[in-house]
Amino acid sequence: MRKRENKLIQVYKSKKPYSDYILFGILLVALPILVDIGLLKYSYLTTIASILIYSIVALGLNLLVGYSGLISLGTAGFMGLGTYLAAFLTKDLNLPFEISLTISVLVPMVIGILTGLVSLRIEGYYLAIATLAISEILRKIFVEFEVVTNGFSGKQASYPTLLGFLDLGRNGTFILIVVFLIGIMILTYNLINSYTGRALSTMRGSEAAAQAMGINIFKYRLLAFAIAVAYSALGGVLYMHFVKYTYPNAWTLTLSLNILAVIIIGGVRSIPGTVLGAFVVFGIPDLILKRLPLIGDIDGAAYIFNGVLIILTILFYPLGLIHIGKDLKKLRFKLRKRKESYSEQA
Amino acid sequence: MSIFIQILLNSLETGGVYALASLGIILIFRTSNTTNYAQGSISMFNAFIATYILMGTGLPAFAVAILAMLSAFLVGVLVDRIVISRAQKVNPVSKQIITLGLIMIFLGLAPMLFGTDPLQFPRFIYGAHTIMGANISYNAILNIIIGIVIMIFLFLMLQKSKWGLAVRATASNDIVARMMGIPTPLITMGSWAIAASLGTLAALMIAPTSSVNLSMMDGVQIIALLACVLGGFQTFYGPVVAAYIIGFASNFISFYISSVWSDSILYVLILITILFKPNGLFGKKIVKKV
Repeated sequence: MRKRENKLIQVYKSKKPYSDYILFGILLVALPILVDIGLLKYSYLTTIASILIYSIVALGLNLLVGYSGLISLGTAGFMGLGTYLAAFLTKDLNLPFEISLTISVLVPMVIGILTGLVSLRIEGYYLAIATLAISEILRKIFVEFEVVTNGFSGKQASYPTLLGFLDLGRNGTFILIVVFLIGIMILTYNLINSYTGRALSTMRGSEAAAQAMGINIFKYRLLAFAIAVAYSALGGVLYMHFVKYTYPNAWTLTLSLNILAVIIIGGVRSIPGTVLGAFVVFGIPDLILKRLPLIGDIDGAAYIFNGVLIILTILFYPLGLIHIGKDLKKLRFKLRKRKESYSEQA
Repeated sequence: MSIFIQILLNSLETGGVYALASLGIILIFRTSNTTNYAQGSISMFNAFIATYILMGTGLPAFAVAILAMLSAFLVGVLVDRIVISRAQKVNPVSKQIITLGLIMIFLGLAPMLFGTDPLQFPRFIYGAHTIMGANISYNAILNIIIGIVIMIFLFLMLQKSKWGLAVRATASNDIVARMMGIPTPLITMGSWAIAASLGTLAALMIAPTSSVNLSMMDGVQIIALLACVLGGFQTFYGPVVAAYIIGFASNFISFYISSVWSDSILYVLILITILFKPNGLFGKKIVKKV
């Protein structure tokens, strides 16, 4: 007779990916409390917050790279644009956080759609480097448009104020980031399991076939770009309000490549994989390596670790680290079977 | 008039640097089918080695440059043997990410071995000369000549020598080339080694003006990639010509239009050009089969 399961577990099991995401969110929300008790260092919280922000950005890029097969190296530029817009709108124009958030996501999105127009003509390597050029132009604007961006010295902002009266402190902003991340994860999951997601996947497989099936390539490519850029800009806005400081040299090619690495290491076309990848790429150097006694003192050890890890993952685990659990299970199953067959023989 | 000639000569020098870097990228692209984002980092790393040899031994700069190119050759061979040759079955996007991993390794190794302070690398020769009212240093003339000579030499080799034939065969079809008895792994390794040497030479050319530091090659790397896009990835000469065009354009734009926005204007112009010629200026249209 089957054991009767708890009602809560039943609900948990019936709404599988959503409940996982929400559970993950609840675990994350507990972190600031741990900091307040003193179980966790404050610097860990900052690192984890930036990891979550990069996860949001990487989810957008995963949609673009993984599902629609387009490469973009402009992520950092759009994220930077988000930070500057957020800082300018809230600090210089004193607009409320919600309006600033909307504008700072919409403006990069329009630019993203323009980039998407470019992507209709060119593909592959050409597209990657064209987006790189756009990112560099944006970075130049951050440096030179001093009235708004304050040049090389960078720009500051404060923790956001929700609805005009709810001042969020450090912990509040952290929770806001978690809420956004979980929202984005659920949104992305729904999106890729909808008509749009299937259309994007078809496009990646074969453009000609997609067109023959009646999928409007023009529309879906632009949509993919718009979503990816909107996620990066959203990441930028959250970054601005949590880190409270932005400067042009934070938004270079290296960051775009790092975010690409997040996807490849974590797992292309996998939402939890993207988050895992962000923890590996941005988390392990900061959270673990820098605290080790000997290795932590060497300059650049974190960089080398990341580089080696990226190369090893691609060479030996091309599907991404998220599949490691499944593979381990398979391996255990195999071993057990082998053991059984041995015992049968004996 | 004298200003015009001055700009022309400057453009030849910067164009040469870009051309060397982009020739390295296109060599690697054609033989191992990946855009090498790590070209700049490998060059930067070897520029550090060069500066250390210079400070340690006091050899003249050009001897050091040759030693550095040899060390770059070795680094290229190692990179290919250890990483790239094992990644043949990896899909194109992941292959690009591998070169990103290489960037991180070199960015980590350089401060570990050489410290984080920027270092100075001297010019090859000192002194200046006036041509038709334009002032040009001997070093710049030397750079222009070295750039052009190396380029001509490599293109002659590509067209006339057995090695060149092997490279072109590998580039056009890897599998068939292997069937014809061409040692394609060796050819790929050679491309990585030569590309690293070319990049290092480019780095040493700009080193006197920019100092040897971790980000010295970032700008050159981006322009070299853009040159490959502008010239098209299908030919060897396309990116080189495009690199010179970019060199000229950037100098003329910065003098006649705006020195602050020259890079941005240049990027926009390049983007517009690729919109009209999606396969680059010298690229051929690839017919897709359904």
